[in-house]
Amino acid sequence: MATYDFIFDNLGLRDWCGDGGADGGPMSMADLMNQTSGEEATVSAWDTPFPSLDNLHDACEAIPQSRDLTSGLERGFLDIKDSLKVVVDPLTQPLSWALNEMLWLMQSIPWWIMIPLLMLISYAVGRSLKLVALVAICFGFLAFVDYYDYTMQTLAIIFVCAFICVLFGVPIGIAMSRSDRTQRVMIPILDMLQTLPPFVYLIPLIFLFSVTEPKLYGIAIILYAIVPVIRLTDLGIRLVDQDVIEAADAFGMTDRQKLFGVQIPLALPNIMAGVNQTIMMSLAMVVIASLVSAPGLGVLVLRGIRSLELGVGLLSGLGIVLLAIILDRVTKAALARINASQSK
Amino acid sequence: MTNDIKISIRNLYKIFGDDPQNALEHVRQGMGKTELLAQHNHVLGLNDINVDMPAGKTTVIMGLSGSGKSTLIRHLNRLIDPTAGEVLVDGDDILSYNAKQLRDLRQHRMSMVFQKFALFPHRTVLENTGLAPSVEGKGKSKYADEARKWLARVGLEGQDDQYPHQLSGGMQQRVGIARALTSNSDIMLMDEAFSALDPLIRTDMQNLLIELQAELQKTVVFITHDLDEALKLADHLVILKDGFIVQQGEPQHILLNPADPYIEDFVADINRARVLRVRSVMRKTTDAAGDVSGEVDHDDTLESVIEASGGDTTNRYRVMKNGEQVGMLEMLDLVRALVPQGGSGDPESARRTG
Repeated sequence: MATYDFIFDNLGLRDWCGDGGADGGPMSMADLMNQTSGEEATVSAWDTPFPSLDNLHDACEAIPQSRDLTSGLERGFLDIKDSLKVVVDPLTQPLSWALNEMLWLMQSIPWWIMIPLLMLISYAVGRSLKLVALVAICFGFLAFVDYYDYTMQTLAIIFVCAFICVLFGVPIGIAMSRSDRTQRVMIPILDMLQTLPPFVYLIPLIFLFSVTEPKLYGIAIILYAIVPVIRLTDLGIRLVDQDVIEAADAFGMTDRQKLFGVQIPLALPNIMAGVNQTIMMSLAMVVIASLVSAPGLGVLVLRGIRSLELGVGLLSGLGIVLLAIILDRVTKAALARINASQSK
Repeated sequence: MTNDIKISIRNLYKIFGDDPQNALEHVRQGMGKTELLAQHNHVLGLNDINVDMPAGKTTVIMGLSGSGKSTLIRHLNRLIDPTAGEVLVDGDDILSYNAKQLRDLRQHRMSMVFQKFALFPHRTVLENTGLAPSVEGKGKSKYADEARKWLARVGLEGQDDQYPHQLSGGMQQRVGIARALTSNSDIMLMDEAFSALDPLIRTDMQNLLIELQAELQKTVVFITHDLDEALKLADHLVILKDGFIVQQGEPQHILLNPADPYIEDFVADINRARVLRVRSVMRKTTDAAGDVSGEVDHDDTLESVIEASGGDTTNRYRVMKNGEQVGMLEMLDLVRALVPQGGSGDPESARRTG
């Protein structure tokens, strides 16, 4: 006897439900408990259960249990998986290649070329010797504690993913800034990408691709980190002074000239702020992605957790912090240089 | 200088709202701005505007904020499209232009100066000045000479590599004017170009514009809310109120014959001696007069005549134009002209009725 029997009895749906016996279908834990205790629990009004799928199922066989819902979702995903894979696999294959090549490249260049090269890049971007010193010290320290290879792997993944984020994010942001409708469609998607817990990205991806493929973690990182660059590109272009746009129109600029000659240059500070955020977020995700075979410092963090190696966990954590500081400072220095050249 | 009409606006209406065509019918049947807003939730921007702008002269469109003057000037290069009406430039209806013709119009035939300067903050002074040629695809080396010439003409030499934020407001607007001049267009649209500048700089800029105008004779369309500025610059003055034209014509004429209390109210606070010219108050005659106290030019201000006469109201002057007599000026007429006519010497009363 279940709480909600009366609904089906009163509505005359008993026949549709089939006989109200407890046969067929997997048993819930509560049923099992009841069976062993041998007595039907009497339910007081205070304890009336919510009419959930499981509780309705108790009263009527025809109503599915909630476990049927989750297994249905799973079956549905598995059913479309193969056809989805036919489309998505070739499309994302270049990502695997890019990640593999970059990982190979960053690790095969000897340290005595790589570290000066990184210092040179940071000087070219930031024009600050202090910054170069910071880069040298951080990489020197990481190499000194024998984390050089891991650091390079993490850096390679971030370079590739951040580059792809910018490659797709900036045009998407531009499209959003030009049409209110596109913006209305995109904002909920971006909100979802941003609020979905990072682990949730991984679940369908694991089913879709084999765990040995780099694109698995590549996609997870990109989906997670692309949001700020899209948002800030859109915002930046929308914030460009309307008077300046009007002047561009009044002197007969074409849309293309306006976009590349006025809107993007003036939105650049915001776009760069988006790139900075994107890099930071891909660094956060690269640790989580080590759960699905992403190489780098994240693997060490994971080792720290899994085998309770406190020292390894802390040191690799520190390594990630150092990497974050460097990437943040270098991109911020680039941003500051852009701002200085066009501040009002 | 010819008196050809360069820009001609015919029966122009602009209504802002969801269904302007429907609202237009109501307006044509005589509905006013407030009723249209209250009953149909549409804003009447411009109401049956007809203006002829003479080539080579300065046409000033004047009105208070909300009168539609900035909307009107944006119809001339179609930054705003009208609800109904025609805009003819050199006899061509620009409303029939396609995108390419319109760009050509904006690049070569019209240039614009903005109230807030609207310089490109990421480009240098020289690059800003060369905007028009650069839009055509000319490289910096090609337009640099031309741009430098105009920068020098507006008094900005040696600032080529500065960025706009490094310049003061007055200097920025000089760049704005140089930018408009570098396009070598016949028509210059100036949207409250000097309103954001402080008074002394504004006077400087007005004088600069008058100088340039004497030299270049462009067709200037100038928007302002300042009557002193309007009277100083205008060859043809158009006064707008709530989207329709209250009065238009020669400034002197408007000043001496205000059409309605609104205009009277406007002109009441003006220093008439400085604005009115001898030709507006003289008696037209070529008869040689007997005793005169001296000769004055037909374009002198009354202020200068008063100064010359030393305040003696019995004086008479012979008015000369290009060395020939065109009229006689009695000081008594001059003094009478200094007081606003039309029975409304009191601006407060005009304000109440207007």
